[in-house]
Amino acid sequence: MPGQPVIDMRRLHRFFGATRAVSDISFEVMKGEVFGYIGPNGAGKTTSMRILATLDIPTYGDALVDGFSVINDPDRVRRRLGFMPDYFGTYADVNCREYLDFFARAYGLRGRERHQALSHVMGFTKLDGLAEKPIRGLSKGMKQRLCLGRSMIHDPSVLILDEPAAGLDPRARIELRQMIRELADNGKTILVSSHILTELAEMCDRVGIIEKGELLAVGTVAEIQRGQVTHCQIRSRVIANVPAFASWLEERDDVENIHVDGQLVRFSQIGDMPEQAGLLREMILANFAVAEFGIEQRSLEDAFMHVTRGVVQ
Amino acid sequence: MNSSDTSSSPFATGDPTKINADVSSKGSFWRAIETAIELGGERLNPILVKEGRQALKSKQFVITFTLLLLAGWVWSMLGVALLWPGVYYAPGGRFMLCGYFVILAIPVLVTVPFSAFRSLAAEREDGTFELLSITALSSRQIVTGKLGSAVLQMLVYYSALAPCIAFTYLLRGIDIVTIVFLLFWTLVASVLLSTVGLVVATITRARHWQVLLSVLLLVGLCIVTFTWTLSFVSLITDTQATAFDDVDFWLAMSAIMTFCISHAIMFVMIAAAQISFASDNRSTRLRAMLLVQQTLWVGWMTFFWIRFEAEEFLYVLVSVAAIYWAFAGACLMGEAAILSPRVKRSLPQSFLGRMCFTWFNPGSGTGYTFAIVNLLTLVIIIVVAGLTAELEGFAGARGNYDWLLYVTLVAAYVVAYLGVGRLIVVLLRQLGRVTILLTVLINLLLVVIGAAFPVFFQG
Repeated sequence: MPGQPVIDMRRLHRFFGATRAVSDISFEVMKGEVFGYIGPNGAGKTTSMRILATLDIPTYGDALVDGFSVINDPDRVRRRLGFMPDYFGTYADVNCREYLDFFARAYGLRGRERHQALSHVMGFTKLDGLAEKPIRGLSKGMKQRLCLGRSMIHDPSVLILDEPAAGLDPRARIELRQMIRELADNGKTILVSSHILTELAEMCDRVGIIEKGELLAVGTVAEIQRGQVTHCQIRSRVIANVPAFASWLEERDDVENIHVDGQLVRFSQIGDMPEQAGLLREMILANFAVAEFGIEQRSLEDAFMHVTRGVVQ
Repeated sequence: MNSSDTSSSPFATGDPTKINADVSSKGSFWRAIETAIELGGERLNPILVKEGRQALKSKQFVITFTLLLLAGWVWSMLGVALLWPGVYYAPGGRFMLCGYFVILAIPVLVTVPFSAFRSLAAEREDGTFELLSITALSSRQIVTGKLGSAVLQMLVYYSALAPCIAFTYLLRGIDIVTIVFLLFWTLVASVLLSTVGLVVATITRARHWQVLLSVLLLVGLCIVTFTWTLSFVSLITDTQATAFDDVDFWLAMSAIMTFCISHAIMFVMIAAAQISFASDNRSTRLRAMLLVQQTLWVGWMTFFWIRFEAEEFLYVLVSVAAIYWAFAGACLMGEAAILSPRVKRSLPQSFLGRMCFTWFNPGSGTGYTFAIVNLLTLVIIIVVAGLTAELEGFAGARGNYDWLLYVTLVAAYVVAYLGVGRLIVVLLRQLGRVTILLTVLINLLLVVIGAAFPVFFQG
């Protein structure tokens, strides 16, 4: 991919005593990309995101935002970065406008610039109608919008969103997803973590799977789905002689886990597309009446389950 | 823009051009004032603006303010009733001021400093501090914003009771200088206590420690308020107590004022250092401030020693300095020398620079050396000054050298205790993380053991 990466994680390590929260994580995110960060609870997602947001320092390694190190240049990194943590972080006794106005001031926006940023963010997050409403009266979805607005009030080039869709209803999720995609289309680089893998699959250009502090896989959703396939799940329908067909499969070294359901036979084959093509040819040459032969498409969830081992620190 | 919407806030419309447009179209004086305030507001610390908005809506402020007004009103009625009928001819200002002072002292010396503590502690508990720390605000701005908000609250409380205090002057029996003196020093005390509250808020993030610290702080504030109120009430009622025409009185006030200012600045710096980014240089400025305080202390005490020709000042000077450096040394030894490469590059690189300024760099070892070197420097100054005075026969020289033994012993105790503390910290660091709080507790424990040892040994 051309150009300098906007987010560059370089052999990032973070230890808490004997616990290796993050261990040797490296990946790059390019401008305008939405990068999904997937992993079970306690995998090290939040820790690595906090390091990127300059809220923590790595034990070893470094992370760069727009070429600036989170250790050496935290101030420059902060100007380029908006962080939305997995908690709201709101104040009592302030309304939406006051909340955003405070953060706009805190990011050094003055006068006209601040007013414009406020109206832009309130428009983008569709909070215009709720400007004078106290934050404590907002629904969870509205609070998430407000927090997204806060993270982008200073027009950062990078957004780090930690579990932004957690606890939202389907409509709010869809709206949030649309907003994230729109931000990416406007050139923002976005690192987003989520447990809702189907959503990540829809909005992310690339994903990284992390478990026990280690990055297990990085790539596009398709690459992840494809690249991790060492056992391909195949579904085949033969219209006659099913027991013989099952026996024939059992004799093969590259086939296992055979399940017969009437004419439908499911099994897993070791190998990729050429091996599947070879198997189909052999089935036909063996005179089995094959009416259907297909690979059962793996979802991101399947890939995730396959890549990870469910190990939590 | 039509004239119908000029009454609405420019902020509410989100159109900044409206401010100037309104001024030019109407040319109203008040509009110009509003614009000036709006522009002035742009330069204010964002924390102050936010806290001001929050405070005006918070229940705590509304309740405290209402109670203050109510108490002022009740005391006005009750005080006049108690003075009746002498209120028409006898001076009753002092009597009434005592009551108003007690009413004012509680919110200003307890509520405001505790609110400052809670305000910063709550930011850390609710996670909003993390959001603040990644903005363009520096940790110093965050702390000064909180302090500014506390000062704003103090001024509101002061203004609420201002008519009542003016009323005491009208009742005669109290002069305006005494009233201003009382209010000024109470304001200074409140600011100082608020900075202490801010420091306490940054000591720990653990919830159970926070609860303990908040209780200790509240108890401490109540004790200070009680002592303060009692002292000032006796000052109000004793017509001979104040000596405003005495030069020495004002010299003493100036000395106290310099210490209050330097301590307030140092507490702000400590709080800011505590909440700053882990790889920032948190120590050098603080150590420079410690040096300033040492210079102030030596300067004032030497001045008083020579002026009053009283050797006792030497004992006070060295005793307070020993306690000061023992505590400061304990805190400095708890520092971790984590610095980013950028900060490391900013440290002195030349041989001379490293020789003179390495002790200002963060770290447990440099902290110990810094404390000891400062204390020993102070001891050398005292010894040279004391011997000169004895030989030349000035500044109350008595021809005995007991003070020399006292100064040497006190310094030796501090060096020894801090040295043992440092060794323990070095050993513990091999096992895990040692915080500043733990280092202070270790040193405190050593002092307690050292003090108790002779008792058990003799027993």
